[in-house]
Amino acid sequence: MEPQMKRWKGSVYDADSWVAYPVLSDEQSQDVELIEAFAAPIVNKKETSRLVRELNSLYPLNGFQHIKRVRACKEKGSPHPLEVLVCLISDVPDMKEVSIDSLLPSDGVKPDGLGEPFVVKVPARPPLTRPQFELASQHWPTSFHEDKLVTVALRGELFTPTQKATMHMYMMSALTAAKAGKELGMEAVGAVVVDPEMERIVAVGHDCRGDHPLHHAVMVCIDLVARSQGSGCFCFDSYPACRFTPLTANTSQNVSDSDAGSRPYICTGYDLYVTREPCVMCAMALVHSRIGRVFYGTASLDGALGTKYKIHSQKDLNHRFEVYKGVLSKPCEDLNISDDHDKKDSGQ
Amino acid sequence: MGPEDCEAESLESFFPTDEDIDKWMSSAFDMAREALENGEVPVGCLMVYKDEVVGKGRNEVNETKNATRHAEMVAVDQVLDWCRCSGLDVRSVCERTVLYVTVEPCIMCAAALRLINLPVVVYGCRNERFGGCGSVLDVSSAHLPQTGTTFKCVSGHRAEEAVEMLKTFYKQENPNGHLNSHLFFFLSFSLLPFPSVTFCLFLFFT
Repeated sequence: MEPQMKRWKGSVYDADSWVAYPVLSDEQSQDVELIEAFAAPIVNKKETSRLVRELNSLYPLNGFQHIKRVRACKEKGSPHPLEVLVCLISDVPDMKEVSIDSLLPSDGVKPDGLGEPFVVKVPARPPLTRPQFELASQHWPTSFHEDKLVTVALRGELFTPTQKATMHMYMMSALTAAKAGKELGMEAVGAVVVDPEMERIVAVGHDCRGDHPLHHAVMVCIDLVARSQGSGCFCFDSYPACRFTPLTANTSQNVSDSDAGSRPYICTGYDLYVTREPCVMCAMALVHSRIGRVFYGTASLDGALGTKYKIHSQKDLNHRFEVYKGVLSKPCEDLNISDDHDKKDSGQ
Repeated sequence: MGPEDCEAESLESFFPTDEDIDKWMSSAFDMAREALENGEVPVGCLMVYKDEVVGKGRNEVNETKNATRHAEMVAVDQVLDWCRCSGLDVRSVCERTVLYVTVEPCIMCAAALRLINLPVVVYGCRNERFGGCGSVLDVSSAHLPQTGTTFKCVSGHRAEEAVEMLKTFYKQENPNGHLNSHLFFFLSFSLLPFPSVTFCLFLFFT
């Protein structure tokens, strides 16, 4: 696609200069795992449908419905055009001498039309993404129920130019906050909580751990959101760049009916923009706060939304959310680099 | 540097005695019971430095509308205040402080405890839904060089009792009434030997 192919020209502060990629679960991003199976050439094509029917009942591929039974022969000029999957090797664990007759008991499948078996590798799990599907198909034909949105997202094409311009603007606010925090001697991390429905910034915060070891930018933002709804428990008034927009009657009209004030999970439906990947504490705080989506600029060493853990896709937890990385990646990375320099300078 | 070596050595051997554990867990359970009697989440948590309670807390999620205000986080803030008032260095206090809590800290709290360099956590029952000391993730001992220091856990102290209190708390709540975060918080805990407890509670929640 043309717009994404463009190399970014000129300023780094350009919505064409970055691409937001989804941070998928381990299941969606892992390599294709293979298991061994016996396949055999179909030397008499006319027997194909009978063989498939009889093999399906003798060796049903339970739990492996994604594997197709028959494949067209790979090599051109092969004497036989088709090959059929007879069974998984784990289906016949104790077989010592493998031949087509030993695999097919005489009362089950007539071996007519089949050649001698050979070992193939087939994908152990159904592919969840197009890259996984393409890899799996190199080994054995595999069916794939494509999630088109995931495919588009993996190409970095999920967001329209208009959406990207909005995301760009929010991350710029986070960058500005990060720099303000750095001026105060904090780590250069900034975060912004947005109500995407209302296209409204709810809270802006930066790292304050110089004054409190747990006041990372995300934790600051979560409390500022609470303050925007009349609660919260910290005062960030001494940090002018940490601020919130009070939830007024006007802004809350979209919030469902009566209970805007009593919603227990106050980040429900909100997006977070943060210059670098949150740590374990912040990532889990976002789960507890029921955040809608998270966008970050650059990965961090102990990051918990992609690097060390993928807490947003952890199966056992009660809330999951989408995470995208790479928003304004270059200026966000530059924040980290200048931070590292400062640390070295101060001998840490 | 000599004094630092000494410090490192004594930290290695820093660990509460069985007597300490009995005594302070008993206080934590008293707190949990008091919370239960007041209709609050029955989780008790206290931080002890040199035989003195320097922080205690209970869940304050509802009143602050801040979902991160778990008992441990509230207690950590008290420790920081205590250090400020006493003019002591936070890190050197935290490095010799033990957290006693009736329920395994969640993933967030476990990471927070690493970040303040707490060396030891003593807890009662497991937290199957959110636990950060092995139940869901093992944040307490994971290799996370940028996230403070690892801590040791002493688990299972009066675990049945901790679960029993949570069960009692749940029975007091009206399952058809408002499903607030208190209830949710409660539903998140269980004890491994009673998987059916988690299961039943989960059904009510969903």
